[in-house]
Parts: sequence; C-alpha cells; structure tokens
Amino acid sequence: MNALTVFSLWSQRNRWIWAAIGVLLVWLVLSIVTNRFSLSSLSGIVLSASFLTIVGIGQMFVVTTGRGNIDLSVASVITLSAFVALLTIKGQDANLAIGVAAAVLLGLAVGALNSLLVVGLGIPAIIATLATGYVLATATLLSNRAISGFAVSPALKYLASGRILGVPIMAVIAILGVAATSFALRYTVFGQLLSAVGQNRTAARLAAIRTGPVIASAFIISSVLASLNGLLLGAYIGGAFLEMGQPYLLQSIAAVVLGGTLIFGGSATAVGTLFASILLILIVTTMQIIGLPPGAQDIVQGIVVIFVLALAGRQAMTRRAPVEPAGGDVAVPAGDRQS
Amino acid sequence: MSQPVVADQDRAAAKAPAAPVRQSVVSLTGITKSFGPTLANAGIDLCVGAGNVIGLVGGNGAGKSTLMRILCGAMWPTLGSISFADDDVNFADYGTGEAQRRGIRMVHQELSLCANLSVAENFFLETPGDAASRPGWRALYRARARAALDAVFPGNGIDANAEVGHLSIAERQMVEIARAAATPGVRLIVLDEPTSSLDLDRSKQLRAFIRERAKAGLAFIFISHKLQEIIDIATEIVVLRNGRTAWQGQVADASIGRLVQLMGGDANPVHQHAVSAASAQDVLVRLSGPLTSELGRDIEIVRGEIVGLAGLEGSGQKELLHGIFGADAKQNGAVTRHAQAGFVAGDRQKEGVFPLWSVLGNISIGALARRPALGLVSDRANREMAAGAASKLRLDDSRFQSNITELSGGNQQKALVARALVADTPIILLDDPTRGVDIATKQDFYRLCNEIARSGRALVWHTTEDAELLACDRVLVFAGGRIVRELTGDAITESAVVGASFAQPADRIASARHKDAPATRLGRRLVDAAPFIGLATVLAVMISANPAVASIFGLDLLLMPALSLVLVTAAQMFIVGGSEIDLGVGAFAGLVSVLGATLLYDQPWLGALALVAALAAYAGLGGVIQARKIPAIVVTLGASFIWVGLGYALQPTPGGASPEWLTALFGWSLGFMPTSIILIAAVALIVFVIDRLPLGVVLRGFGNNPTAMIRSGWSPTRHALVRYLIAGLFAGAAGLSLTAINTASDINSGNSFTLLSVAAVVMGGCSLLGGIISPVGAVAGAVTLSLIGALLGTLNVSSDFNAATQGLILIALLTLRSLTADRRSEQ
Repeated sequence: MNALTVFSLWSQRNRWIWAAIGVLLVWLVLSIVTNRFSLSSLSGIVLSASFLTIVGIGQMFVVTTGRGNIDLSVASVITLSAFVALLTIKGQDANLAIGVAAAVLLGLAVGALNSLLVVGLGIPAIIATLATGYVLATATLLSNRAISGFAVSPALKYLASGRILGVPIMAVIAILGVAATSFALRYTVFGQLLSAVGQNRTAARLAAIRTGPVIASAFIISSVLASLNGLLLGAYIGGAFLEMGQPYLLQSIAAVVLGGTLIFGGSATAVGTLFASILLILIVTTMQIIGLPPGAQDIVQGIVVIFVLALAGRQAMTRRAPVEPAGGDVAVPAGDRQS
Repeated sequence: MSQPVVADQDRAAAKAPAAPVRQSVVSLTGITKSFGPTLANAGIDLCVGAGNVIGLVGGNGAGKSTLMRILCGAMWPTLGSISFADDDVNFADYGTGEAQRRGIRMVHQELSLCANLSVAENFFLETPGDAASRPGWRALYRARARAALDAVFPGNGIDANAEVGHLSIAERQMVEIARAAATPGVRLIVLDEPTSSLDLDRSKQLRAFIRERAKAGLAFIFISHKLQEIIDIATEIVVLRNGRTAWQGQVADASIGRLVQLMGGDANPVHQHAVSAASAQDVLVRLSGPLTSELGRDIEIVRGEIVGLAGLEGSGQKELLHGIFGADAKQNGAVTRHAQAGFVAGDRQKEGVFPLWSVLGNISIGALARRPALGLVSDRANREMAAGAASKLRLDDSRFQSNITELSGGNQQKALVARALVADTPIILLDDPTRGVDIATKQDFYRLCNEIARSGRALVWHTTEDAELLACDRVLVFAGGRIVRELTGDAITESAVVGASFAQPADRIASARHKDAPATRLGRRLVDAAPFIGLATVLAVMISANPAVASIFGLDLLLMPALSLVLVTAAQMFIVGGSEIDLGVGAFAGLVSVLGATLLYDQPWLGALALVAALAAYAGLGGVIQARKIPAIVVTLGASFIWVGLGYALQPTPGGASPEWLTALFGWSLGFMPTSIILIAAVALIVFVIDRLPLGVVLRGFGNNPTAMIRSGWSPTRHALVRYLIAGLFAGAAGLSLTAINTASDINSGNSFTLLSVAAVVMGGCSLLGGIISPVGAVAGAVTLSLIGALLGTLNVSSDFNAATQGLILIALLTLRSLTADRRSEQ
C-alpha cells in the first residue's frame, strides 16, 4: 500500500483537507505572483473569514439535518441583529450585556419560529426560512428608522477588529467556536444523533431518536450564531446598513459545501467550513486586488458553488449506490486489510 | 429431498400435451437469480403460449415477483435464457423497453398511474404515438379509455376525464388493467394481484374478459392469492416455492387443497419449540379494540415469548409493529405498551442502516438514542457495549471499523439486531428481518431470537416467510387489517397459517373509508379560493378608498406592474410543477431586462444572440440538476449570483433604454379594456394551453410520479431541459416586460419576484410536491401579491410592512394548507 492510497483513504474520511490545500495553493500562488501577500495580509483575510465561519457553522448544522434543508433566513438575521445591537447598546459599554442578550433572544426567537414551521407544520425548510426572512426584512426597515446614530461600543469594537500579538481576536473566537463544534459533533450524543437524523430520518426514528428536537436545535443554533455574528459584524464595520447580511447567504452555503459537509446531510466538518471560509474570502479578495468588477465576483462565486455541487453530487451517488450483490465477499478483503 | 424429482415428473407430464397446441409467445428457460448467497429463483422454466392463462401462485417470498421482473426486463437473471417464438434474445439486449416492444405489459401491484392526471391522459402516457399536438388529441384518448374500460368492466361508470387521484383504489386498478389490455400489439399481460381491491362482480367481469381475449390468442399470467380465482380462470398453474417450481400442470389436476399443500407443506424445520418461559404476570403489550374483534378477546404479550405476525402481505402486520413502537406517542386505545420497545427494520436500506457510519457507529446509536443529548460519547465504552452484543450474534468485532455498507445483507441485519440489544429494551419488534439474508445467517438468527426471548424479553416478529413462524411461541394471523386467528405451540404449522390467512375476513374494513371532517373540507375550500377572495378584497378596498381606481386608466396603472410578476410566476409554476423551486428566477428576469435595455437596444443582433445564450444556460441548468441529482435550490441560488453578476458587469448602475418595438409591444391600447388585463389574461391562457398539450401532460406526469413515467419509457433529463426552457421563456418575457414598462433596466428589479412567485404559485393551489399547474389561481395570486404595496399605501401603512405582509401571507397559506392537507392524495 503506497502513500497515495493511504492519503486517498484518509482524505475520504477527512474531507476538510481539500479546502485546506486550496487555501495553501491559492495563497502560495498569489504570494509568488504578486509579491503582495504576506502573513499579515493573510491575517486580514482570516479576520474577514472569521465572520463567515460563524455563520457557516450555523448553516452547517441545518444542512446536516438532511433532506436539502437550508436556512435562508441567516442574511436577514445578521442585518436585523446589527440594527438591534445599535438600538440596545447605543455605543455604551454599559449596555453591552443587554445587547448580547437581545442578540441571543433574537436568534432564539427566529430559530424557534423556523423550527415551528419546519418541524411542527412540515413546511419545506427553504420556503419557511425564506418567508421568515421576509418578515425580518420589515423588522429591519423599522429598526433602521428607529436608530439615532451609528455609535459602536468600544469593547465590542475591540472584540470585532482588535488583535492580540497580531492575531485577530475574531479569529481566536472563530477557531474556538470551530473547536467546540468539532468536539460537539464528534464526542457528544447530540452530534451523533444529528448525523443519524441527517443520514436516514426513518432509521433514526425507528432507532428511538426523537428527530423533531434534533432538527429544531439545528435551526436554533443557526439563528443564534447568525445573530451573534450580526452583532460583531455591525461593530466591525461601525454601524449597520440594509442588505449587509446578503452576501453571507450564498457564501455560508458555499463554505459548508466547499468544506466537505455533505449537502444531502449526515456528515459535517467544522474544520472544513473554517478552511472553506478562508478560501472563499481569499478568492473574493484576490478578485478585488486584480480589479475584477463586483459583478464578476458574484459570477465566480456562483460558478464555484454549482461546480462543487455537481462534483459532490456524483460522489454521493456512487457512494450510496447499493452494494447489493455479493456484499459478503466484498467484506472479506476489507477485513484482511485491517488485520 | 424427494420433491424436485416429483416436480420434474409433473412438469414433464404437463408439458407434453400442452406444447404443440398453440404457438409460443415467450419462454424462459433455466432462470436462476441470486442475491448474494440467496437464490430468489433457481432453475425455473416458464413457457407461455398464445391464449394461455397461467396462474402463478406461491407463498410470500417464493420468487414470483423476481421471476416477473425478469420477464418484463426490469431485472437480469444470473443464469438462464429468454426466447420469443423462435427468436432467442440475449438478456444483455433485453430491458423494459424491449419487453414492451415485444408486447409484454405488466399491471403492477403498486399501481403505476399518475394520480394528478385524468384517466384519458394516463392512457396517453402509455401509448403516446398517436398524439400529434393537434387539437382534440384528448378526445381520441378519452374515447380509447372509455372503450377499453367498457370492454373489460362493462358498466364501470368511470369518467375518462376524472383525475385518477379522485378515483377509489378499485377504480384505479380497473383503469390500470384496461390500459394494459388496450395497448396495441400486446401479446402477454401479467396481472399481479389484479383482484386484491376489486369486488366480486368486477373480479368476475375481469375473468370473463380474460377468457374472451385468451380465445383470441392473448396470453395472461395471473398472480393471485385468491386460489379459487386461479382455479376458475387459469388454463395452467405454476406453483413456486423457495424460488423453485414446486409444481406445474393443467388446472384440471389442481385443487385448492392441493395448491395450499404445495405452497407450504413441509419445510426444513426452523426451530424446535422450547418450553416457553413466559410468565402471565408480566404483560408488556396489550392489544384490544377493533384489532382483535374477530377473536373476541384481548391479546397480551408477555415477557419471554416470541409472537409471530403472519398473513398475506399488507394485511396489517406492519401497522401493528409501528403501532406498538409509537404507542406512547399517541394513545389510540387499540395498543397499550408498558415498556420500552426497540425496532429492527428489515428494509435495511430505507429504514435501517446509517450508510455513512461504521458498523460500530450503527450499533452504538441504539444506546445513544436513549441518553441525554449533552452526554459524552466514548469510543471505548461503545466498543465494549457493542462487543457484548456482537459476540452473541457471532458478528466478528474486527469488522467494527468497516463501513456498514461493505457488509453483506445478513451481517448488516446482525448489526441492526445488535443495535436493538444495546438499547436493552424489554420489547423488540422485528420487521421481516431475514429478508434477503442467507440461510446460515438465518439459522444464527433463529437461535439468537430464542436466546433473547428466554432471557426475559418479548419479541414481536413480523415475517413474510411463513416457514419462520415455526420459530414462534405464538402466531397472530392477520387478514384485512385484523387479527383473525391465534395459533399456539404445536398448532403452528405452515398449512394452518396459510389456511387462516386465506380466509376472507367477515367484513372488509376497506369499505369503511375515512371521511373528512366538515371543518377540514371547509378549510381546504377556503385555501383553494384564497387567491380569488384575496384579489376581490384588495380591489374592493382600493376602489372604495379611491373610486378612480375603477377606471380603465386607473386599473391599467395599477395592474401593469403586476404583469412582470405574473410572468415570473408562470415560470416558477412550471419549476414547482416538477417538484423543484427556482431561487434564481427573479435574478434571471433582471438579467434579461438588463440585456434588453443595453445590448438589445444598442446592437439588436448581438442582443438577440445574448438572449438566446442566456436562455440556453438557464435550460442547461435544469439538465444539470436532473442529470447530477443535485438540489435545485442551491444550484439556482448559486445561479442567481451568476445572473446578478452578469447584469452588474453589463450595467453597473440602473439605466439603459427600451427598444421602441419592445415598448410598443406592451404599450398598445384597445381603449375599452385595460391593456394590462388583456396581457395578464393572455399569459394565463398561454400557460393553460401549454399545460393542455401532450407536453404539458408529460411534464405534470414527471412532477407526480417519475417512476411511473420512466416505466412508460419517458426520458427524465430531456424533460427537465424542456421544463426549464419553458420556465426560462416566461422569465425572459418577464425581464423584457420590465424593460418595456420601466423604459430602463435595473439588475435588482427582479430580485423581489423570486419569493413572490413562490408565494403566488402556492396561493394558486400548486403543491410544492409537484405535479399541479393552475394558471388562473396562480395569476390571481400574483396580482393580489403585487397589489399589496399599493393596498398598504391606500391604507396609509408604511411600505416597510410590504415584505412582512407578503411573508406572513405565505406562512399563513402554507400553515392552513398543511393543516388541511389531503394526505391520501399526496401519497
């Protein structure tokens, strides 16, 4: 068994490696070609990617519940949360606790609403979350009229854009979040239940898993993370504007799929989402540096998503193909390999 | 085993006189089909002559369906050959299409009609050749359907225009039989349990028809569990047992008693009854109510016993298993459970395995499912727990790390049983666990079941293999959804089970159809009328607030902007009709609008070329989605970024100009009627016409029942392309209308249409599950939604509430729809 087969087996179990390799390659090529990329420019990219990672992790939980579930309300939640933060914190560190509580509450409320529609009423997730997003859009417009100024609490501002020893604090937060998520997915009962529900909902139900609460919690996690991200993003850009969450809709889905989480559900990788976020931001930044118009950036992102999906679609199909005939014989060499 | 010898002699005796009489239609020789180590068919010969009516009988799992699948080209045998008349055909060249060309038609037990289409349209799907898209093609098929139905079932009273979904099961069965019988050039019809849902009169009519057509040379294979029918209709009978021909001969030599004996006389003894350790004190499950009304007493399942559920497939055994499993969720009275229950599914792919996980993961989830969600998982603890269960099962624990799908069916099943064991529940429910499992594993399995039961658990075992019931302490025999017999101890024999399950229940519960509550019906009507009520209300409010609205000019001004949304809705409706959703349709309309106001204005030829290219890209997207089986939502969301990006690249800020001819196209006036109303009505009419064309029927068929469509020989990818092409044309027209109406373009002008179009389609009565096109309702919905902004203005409500109102309308409608859903028609 040579190194290549070892790697290909290993990479099948650790799909995040492809996004990581992508990051490395793009960064190396850019450093050599332009001479403008350095570790410090990478830290800027990582800072931007941290925001995307947080939303992406939430989206990943929803995608992992399977059946094509996607949370389309994240963009509206991010925008509304940034406005709510301005309204509650009013630039005072003293109000920070209220602001954080408001953001968490907003996330919980939206997540609960989405869960009610999806789990309780059986409305397809995309339609339910799309409709929720529309309701939130009105709330955003109303809060846009209500805000008096764009003052940001200094503490929050420091959290969102500060650095310790050159490392963005946001990156530390994102990495800690990714670590916690990885742990939860791998080593808690909840992570296993989520994976089971995403792989085969009927089998999960028959294995006595209560599928409703598991799916609902994924939607709630997604909304809460999007809401907290809105709070931090607002502090980072120093205010809030309508449509500020919009880019995160497609990018969060792209980060999830690109990172190696299966779009059909059942298998998630937080590390992959982290690397894919960095890769996406790297691509976008590169396009900006090259001077591509904003339109071209959208086109490239769209193409990346469709391309990755088309590839992943085939992968999932071949793997799920029934291994009906002579299954017993196939298993024997597999056993031999191990001994 | 002396049996094969007897069978051979019988077969030889039977064949000798039969062979020379008639010309042969098709003959199968030496058919063997193995699934892994299991032989579903073993060396079966079957020769069908013109005018033969072959009665095919056998117990559950005898190999009938496998043999018929091979005959119809849906499956290739491991060994064996097929020939038509004297024409040998290689199985490699043989498929469903070839079987149909050679005149073989099968009426499947699970019906393959499109429930959303009319009877006549379903006839069209099977023989589309004569439907040149000329007007009146439907009348042709209507006449054909009526003639075919009357030929088989005189006085059937089925309306050829009726939607199949509205017919009773018996009527659907009649349609399907008539459809197969009416096919031009048909030479052999396979009927799989055709009379299972027909009453006696219809069954007699069918048999009379078969007799008559058989005289004319048409051949039939008649599969039925109703043996008296077989004796009545068949000219020859073939009895299958354990994948082999147990007997083959003339009907004159057969009797019901003999057939029952042949189907399940002696079998290799599965299990010798151990003394039951059951103790009457420890009742785990109690069955009562209508379920046990035939017995006249309740049934109690206690610790330490194995209770088998027997009967013909689909007589209520599965329902009882699921009823016991879910008994604490809803108290339905008939089933009471006093302890936790674990479930072992026999349909491993669909209901059992988690395909991404290792064997260990698949086993330990049984215990994890019953732990608190925030508990920690330890590989070592899992392994120790699973090892205990696996050793009992003789499941090699060196395989724990292999992916579950690498295991054979038998070993997968062992893992599923191990899952139930680690869950450690007092009750274990087994749903036909030995399906497709080799004989050695089966023996392991029986021994294990015995051990589990003796260790103080109760096993409830549904099996489709009658021989396995010998392993049970008690057998409950089902018929027509009820328990009709209880067999215990030595009374459990295959013939007793077969005899009891063939006994017709005193009263069939099939007739007692579930009637909808009046409130539900009212709710459903309200949902259906919602777009019209909404439109009327909105217009009434606006006219009462400002009477000038009612003028021609006023209406035109109000409704012209609705035209674009109506067009996008038409596009979305075709996508939703295929049970997908396009999240990029609004952006695509925006892109076309930009193309119209820039390229088409400056360089008409280049502009036209760009429009064609955009359309091709849009249609291609549909092909990719179908061919790669990837979620349409994400793909179209990604595509929306491409459309918007292209638009930005062409035109970074709103502007441009509309070509004169384009403006004129939307700007004419008849004077007596608002132009916008005429155009909107025209869109509805065009959608209506497309939907009524054969093409529209095929597209709706795919939305409802793709399996049936593929069975009838239609290509899914080609029709996905066509579907997206039609949608693209409507979305493109929407984009051009935006350019013409605004005399400029803005790439973002179409974005809000995406959700609104989904809402309008849902309002209009289309199901998100697909298969329904409702032009008038969806158009009314689209107009209503586009008037919301103007309505809020009239009511002095801030336009900020526009989005929320639209979102809430969508949520309210979907909620109402999900609460009043007609579950039966959606299955």
